[in-house]
Amino acid sequence: MAAPMELFCWAGGWGLPSVDLDSLAVLTYARFTGAPLKVHKITNPWRSPSGTLPALQTSHGEVISVPHKIITHLRKEKYNADYDLSARQGADTLAFMSLLEEKLLPVLIHTFWVDAKNYVEVTRKWYAEAMPFPLNFFLPGRMQRQHVERLQLLCGEHRPEEEEELEKELYQEARECLTLLSQRLGSQKFFFGDAPASLDAFVFSYLALLQQAKLPSGKLQAHLRGLHNLCAYCTHILSLYFPWEGAEVPPPRQTPANPETEEEPYRRRNQILSVLAGLAAMAGYALLSGIVSIQRAPPARAPRTRALGMAEEVEEE
Amino acid sequence: MSLVAEAFVSQIAGKVPFIHVGNQVVSELGPIVQFVKAKGHSLSDGLDEVQKAEMKAYMELVNNMLLTAELYLQWCDEATVGEITHARYGSPYPWPLNHILAYQKQWEVKRKMKAIGWGNKTLDQVLEDVDQCCQALSQRLGTQPYFFNKQPTELDALVFGHLYTILTTQLTNDELSEKVKNYSNLLAFCRRIEQHYFGKVSSSIRLS
Repeated sequence: MAAPMELFCWAGGWGLPSVDLDSLAVLTYARFTGAPLKVHKITNPWRSPSGTLPALQTSHGEVISVPHKIITHLRKEKYNADYDLSARQGADTLAFMSLLEEKLLPVLIHTFWVDAKNYVEVTRKWYAEAMPFPLNFFLPGRMQRQHVERLQLLCGEHRPEEEEELEKELYQEARECLTLLSQRLGSQKFFFGDAPASLDAFVFSYLALLQQAKLPSGKLQAHLRGLHNLCAYCTHILSLYFPWEGAEVPPPRQTPANPETEEEPYRRRNQILSVLAGLAAMAGYALLSGIVSIQRAPPARAPRTRALGMAEEVEEE
Repeated sequence: MSLVAEAFVSQIAGKVPFIHVGNQVVSELGPIVQFVKAKGHSLSDGLDEVQKAEMKAYMELVNNMLLTAELYLQWCDEATVGEITHARYGSPYPWPLNHILAYQKQWEVKRKMKAIGWGNKTLDQVLEDVDQCCQALSQRLGTQPYFFNKQPTELDALVFGHLYTILTTQLTNDELSEKVKNYSNLLAFCRRIEQHYFGKVSSSIRLS
């Protein structure tokens, strides 16, 4: 019997099963289809088999890290949430996914990684607290730089004076996009009727992040809250497929608590080591610069003036 | 010659296409549509909210897939780059500027491809994406004359623009236009618009 598929993704926070957009989308899809995945929620991307999150390790040992490819693989393994869709609905899925990627994604990146207040108070705080030492010092900053670069490439290079206008335009388009999604959803339970499809997984991941994270500067959040059917849609999916996330304490499910406790001895060991290193550095500096010197009691001192010798001996003892 | 003119003009106006009305210059499809709408003409007024949402979504699909695929083919496929794109892009400039600018643009486009996740795609994968996109468009069009039944909308204009260009531009390999030709309703759609609005006989869309 082949090994079960293992999914490595970012851990949960802010009332959600995962704080990362891609991880959340993949997790939600897996839940929709009931795929038997062994989920590892980790906070250290270096411990994932591909170095990035999310990553799927298939039963043959292959590692896939692009979210769309992960979902394609699950489909191939017969866990297909789009099985009942008509051809026209499949075409609609492609179209709406493009809409999400073009209009909502840049703004989401901007909200969480570029907007100074949000980044410092929410995003960086979560990542810095969640990641193990010493990654928490440089990895959040690196991730931010990657996201900023990606945003710049998505939107094109612009001069600093144009940035405010560009920002306004971006948010304007995102608000329009949310309104469009709301109109398309109407009063249905899911986008294509009563059963969730892959489009629902992606839309949910975008909306849930916007809705649940407590952002100090949440311009788009305010607009989203005004679209009641989208809010109800998110809450419905959360309560149906991730019922225990609200308490922010995941019960020991497929994942044993091992990944977490494994971190504990390392954390303690790292703390002790760093303290020892600090002490050693201080002692070494003191010795080398002569503030403190260790001398073996000499059997006979070199002849010196008595007074000075006495004074020195007294000092050093 | 027309290519030189195009390159020259795009440097002046910033982006093609653009329209010049009085002393205003409006460029790119989105703003032009808005501008015309503000003047009281809009093609999508007859659509209901859900249809408008679908139209916007399909326009994004075309932008996302077809436009990016065209860009990929122009700048990341070595055969096309060497034979056609470099020469075309650098034509308004003297040596060595034409080479330098062409390489710079190519590097820029490759960076953008990487940012959106197309950096590692092979030509076959790109063609497959185009095929998927065409399939989606074909299914949405079905047997209707236009995407939203009787009247053409912005989506029809956008799709026609892209498909017509793909079908009539000669590149080093014809695989892109072959993918589009697989869908007979899309071909018929292009021919119909060309005849109706541009009055030409449709011999310009080659059938081979």
